[in-house]
Amino acid sequence: MGPEQSVNIAILGGGRGGTALIELFTRCHGIAITGIADTNPDAPGLRLARNLNIPATDDPVSLISDQTVDLIVDVTGNPSTPALIEQHKSARVEILGGTAAKLVWSLIQDERDLYEHLAHAEKLSTLGTFAAGIAHEFNNPLHMMLGFAQLIQDTQDPASVQEYIQEIVKLIKHLSNMSTSVNLYARTSTQGELVPVQIPTLLDEAVRMARFSTILDEVTVIPQYEPVPDIQAEPGELLQVFMNLIVNAVQAMNARGQLTLRTAMENGSITVSVEDTGPGIAPQDLARIFAPFFTTKKSGKGTGLGLYIVDTIIRKYGGRIEPRSEVGKGTAFRIHFPVTGLPHETRPSSQPATPATI
Amino acid sequence: MGMWPFGHHDPSKASMGRVLIVDDEENIRKVARLTLTKAGYEVIEGKDGADAIEALNSGENPLLVDVIICDIRMPKINGVEAISYFRSQYPSVPIIVQTGFPDLNLATSLMKQGVSDYLVKPVDNAKLIAAVAKAVEGREMFTT
Repeated sequence: MGPEQSVNIAILGGGRGGTALIELFTRCHGIAITGIADTNPDAPGLRLARNLNIPATDDPVSLISDQTVDLIVDVTGNPSTPALIEQHKSARVEILGGTAAKLVWSLIQDERDLYEHLAHAEKLSTLGTFAAGIAHEFNNPLHMMLGFAQLIQDTQDPASVQEYIQEIVKLIKHLSNMSTSVNLYARTSTQGELVPVQIPTLLDEAVRMARFSTILDEVTVIPQYEPVPDIQAEPGELLQVFMNLIVNAVQAMNARGQLTLRTAMENGSITVSVEDTGPGIAPQDLARIFAPFFTTKKSGKGTGLGLYIVDTIIRKYGGRIEPRSEVGKGTAFRIHFPVTGLPHETRPSSQPATPATI
Repeated sequence: MGMWPFGHHDPSKASMGRVLIVDDEENIRKVARLTLTKAGYEVIEGKDGADAIEALNSGENPLLVDVIICDIRMPKINGVEAISYFRSQYPSVPIIVQTGFPDLNLATSLMKQGVSDYLVKPVDNAKLIAAVAKAVEGREMFTT
């Protein structure tokens, strides 16, 4: 994270190796991906790159001969690639290929496994703190369903029976939505498929989920959603990001105050912001909040992984997150996502990829 | 009403007692109201601790409640705060906790404060009636 200039990397090979490299490099500070090339224009690495607005080409030579590249990483596994690189590369470029590239790839696999475990551990830890909230949110509707059902048993009045049945049906739908949300959140998303996600819908979902771990009754939620295009993402991952920011915000305000959720287009990128009216974050803490295991919460209350995972997920989608905080006024987390996907996916979506519809 | 609180066991009276149900969920109050009304009780409602305290204090006679049924997780004044207020201001009124939290430590500490029952939702209607009847039965008679 030093002030050194970023290294420009070209990736050759759009298979599993190339995909893993993109995922890793987009998470790293100080690395810029110049592009990725594969002779198969449909290679998964190329598709991922297009989603993240990283140049993707089926013409390896154009990428190899790019003068801005500092390092070429060859994960094609093709024995003729080294010769092609030698023939077209600029003089100053370094090459990582063959056994060295394989070694790097296996380190990346390890790193990725480790990250998945951390992300999952954080999720489980959050689910643990949900337990009481979930019991409350589920037992209340169950209580009402039982009550109405028993009232039906005891009543002779057809109008009352109809009324109670309607209440029960509403409660069952409500419970079913909640269990869908919990499932979506808890699911591990290692082989998650990217689908178009409507950010405002997912923000609303995150608010519903946040009720499991904190009391929102005295928080005024102010949604200010300007239309933004869908983004290609795993809904569960973005839900984790939004929920984490929302729960943090509510906890920071001691469950009393205003929570403003915004979406907007700014300078061609999608901006999502979560703002609270809490006491703010001290400047010396602000620099460290995204570091793993950093927490200001009481021992045993937070894992210190929440914002680290938030940051990692956002980077994975080519985005970045900026905290702005004023002590005594509040904190705003602003996320910028690149516009992803094909133009037809950016229309005001009629095909929601929301948890409630799964 | 002038005979109260000595008249509520009298079968000739219209009401078997007056119950205050405190819960932020409207339909939970509704189920309790319908169930207990049918069982012969008069039911008043409070949608949170603050609302309940106001309901108790704004009545012509604050002792006009025989039992309080109280939720725990509520906005404004939560159940724990409300119960400690009820216990200090109306020590003779029995309190039944009805909550979604199966929390043993909380239950123990509330029972020590004199709460007469700790019911975990979902609560069977018959069980609620029984808890209310038992609480009314065991109600200490204070004359203030």
